[in-house]
Amino acid sequence: MDLFTSLAYGFSVTLAPANLFACFVGVFVGTLIGVLPGIGPVATMSLLLPVTYALSPTASIIMMAGVYYGAMYGGSTTSILVNIPGEAASVVTCLDGYQMARQGRAGPALGMAAFGSFIAGTLSVLGIMLLAPPLTKAALRFGPPEIFALLLLGFTMVTYLTAGSKLKAVAMALLGMLLGTIGLDPITASPRFTYGTLTLADGLGLVPIIMGLFGISEVLLNIEKGVEQEVFETRIKGLLPTRDDWKRSAAPMARGSVLGFLLGILPGIGAIIPTFISYALERRLSKTPERFGTGMIEGVAAPEAANNAATGGAMIPLLTLGIAPNVVMAVLLSAFLIHGVQPGPLLIREHPEIFWGVVASMYIGNVMLLILNLPLIGLWVQLLRVPYGILFPLILLFCVIGVYSESGNVWDIVVMLGFGGLGYLMRKFEFEPAPMVLAFVLGRMTEESIRQSLLISRGSFEILLTRPIATTFLAITLAVMVAPLVVSPVRRMLRTVPLEEAD
Amino acid sequence: MRRRDLGAAAVLLAFGLFALTQARGLRFGTVVAPGPGFFPLCLAAAFSLVSLGLLVRALRMPAGEARASSADAAGRAKVVGTLGGLMVYALVLEPVGFLLATFALLLFFFTALQRQRWFVALGGSLVTSVATYLVFKVWLGVNLPAGLLSF
Repeated sequence: MDLFTSLAYGFSVTLAPANLFACFVGVFVGTLIGVLPGIGPVATMSLLLPVTYALSPTASIIMMAGVYYGAMYGGSTTSILVNIPGEAASVVTCLDGYQMARQGRAGPALGMAAFGSFIAGTLSVLGIMLLAPPLTKAALRFGPPEIFALLLLGFTMVTYLTAGSKLKAVAMALLGMLLGTIGLDPITASPRFTYGTLTLADGLGLVPIIMGLFGISEVLLNIEKGVEQEVFETRIKGLLPTRDDWKRSAAPMARGSVLGFLLGILPGIGAIIPTFISYALERRLSKTPERFGTGMIEGVAAPEAANNAATGGAMIPLLTLGIAPNVVMAVLLSAFLIHGVQPGPLLIREHPEIFWGVVASMYIGNVMLLILNLPLIGLWVQLLRVPYGILFPLILLFCVIGVYSESGNVWDIVVMLGFGGLGYLMRKFEFEPAPMVLAFVLGRMTEESIRQSLLISRGSFEILLTRPIATTFLAITLAVMVAPLVVSPVRRMLRTVPLEEAD
Repeated sequence: MRRRDLGAAAVLLAFGLFALTQARGLRFGTVVAPGPGFFPLCLAAAFSLVSLGLLVRALRMPAGEARASSADAAGRAKVVGTLGGLMVYALVLEPVGFLLATFALLLFFFTALQRQRWFVALGGSLVTSVATYLVFKVWLGVNLPAGLLSF
């Protein structure tokens, strides 16, 4: 099958009513939680995991992906109108977006954010279509040593790219992996750390952990500091950017898309870092860098394009290798596994309907989002007026019901609350939850790959050094570890972004 | 900052050492055929080492400035109240039932944590608990415990 027949096939899958509806529900819920502060895409996607039991695998993945890129759209709305990033990935959008709103240009800012996301989303889908098949071919030659080396590289990247202390990030990754060993041993199925209980034999659930770390703890932090919502009182008129806006935004948007996509492929990057780099890059390239932060439309278009393109890029390691490069993809990975589908090099061949269906659904989802976001923007703004005092009990209640409905076991609520408290403390003590969750999810794969490698090599770690692909990954890992020289220019660029203004 | 980091590192180290003792109870196997204890033991050892590193680093940090104001204390009380309320809720959910427990939880949130007027709190709790019950139990068919109200 060449690309276009494949894509046409994908569209035929997506346009089936059930899948189309799943796509709509996904992007709708995504926009909703993107607008609402205090609940993000990761918590929402894990909340929806139990819902997907009732759906086909294709519809589930389409819906989950929709929530994620829908949230990216919705997050920018709050950044622009109230200077509160609905999602971390739209922090940068606050800088110029909010200033534009204050100058009465909220309409074009919202419009450009939506168009930028749409264009970047479309470009990244093209990227996936072009890159995934050849990568899949390469990935088919991977054995346990290659997988282990790749995971090692992934963890190294994740910890080195985490904001704040690297040592703390390493500690959290190890802790996550350690917690992941609770339950049955993946190879011999003997119980570990279960203390004779049946509840622990299944291990700790991913859903309660994620809901706790990303849902409950977020609400706790908001309750503590109090959320002040002040919707900018302005009539939003004329969402369409002017011809001048387009002229100024075209190149930044293109650069943001390419940058976001390429960075998104790398493990540990996520959607946040590309927005910062893209903003910094535009400021570097601009003839009037001093005017950034005063309402420049480039400062909205570029990072919004970058965060959407990064989403597309992040799908590549998941779809071709079965490895989750960030927490969002980890949830998506578990959605696959719930349906007994193993994402990876065999996905395109064994489940073409999922692969191409999801790819095509991203085009259609992007169109839906454009329709949802532009004319309905007034509705989303109204949502922002719901006081947090009413919102937070509801969010907490939904988390509890969601977790309970998945297993019917009160123990999972307790686990969720425990991790909620832990997550709250982690933020207070400046520990990042992301490496922990990622390691928790990938721990089993890591263990299997190293133990199988040792079995193959009869106990010699040399196997990691005698196979060219594995050795290459290890070499890159080493390079990442010893080369802060490569990272520091990027850091310096990041530092030039006046973060404090985003608060 | 120093004391906070010190405390956090000490807790992590304690957990690491605990995990180490627990992992020793599992069969390690050999490097040729690693057993169930192989990976956890390596992880626990690495985790303890990194925690030790954090501890040493915190010790070498200059002593930080004293902080914590009364505003912090009020916020923290709210956090503890929310988490505590939810924990009690989780424990009584099955014996008491979803409707009653949820009503009580919301009433607690609205009165103790927010000081809403009593009729707002009462009405809000009632409407929300009944509405979520109808949506999740009746419409979506989620199995929520009936508890005391099972008739």
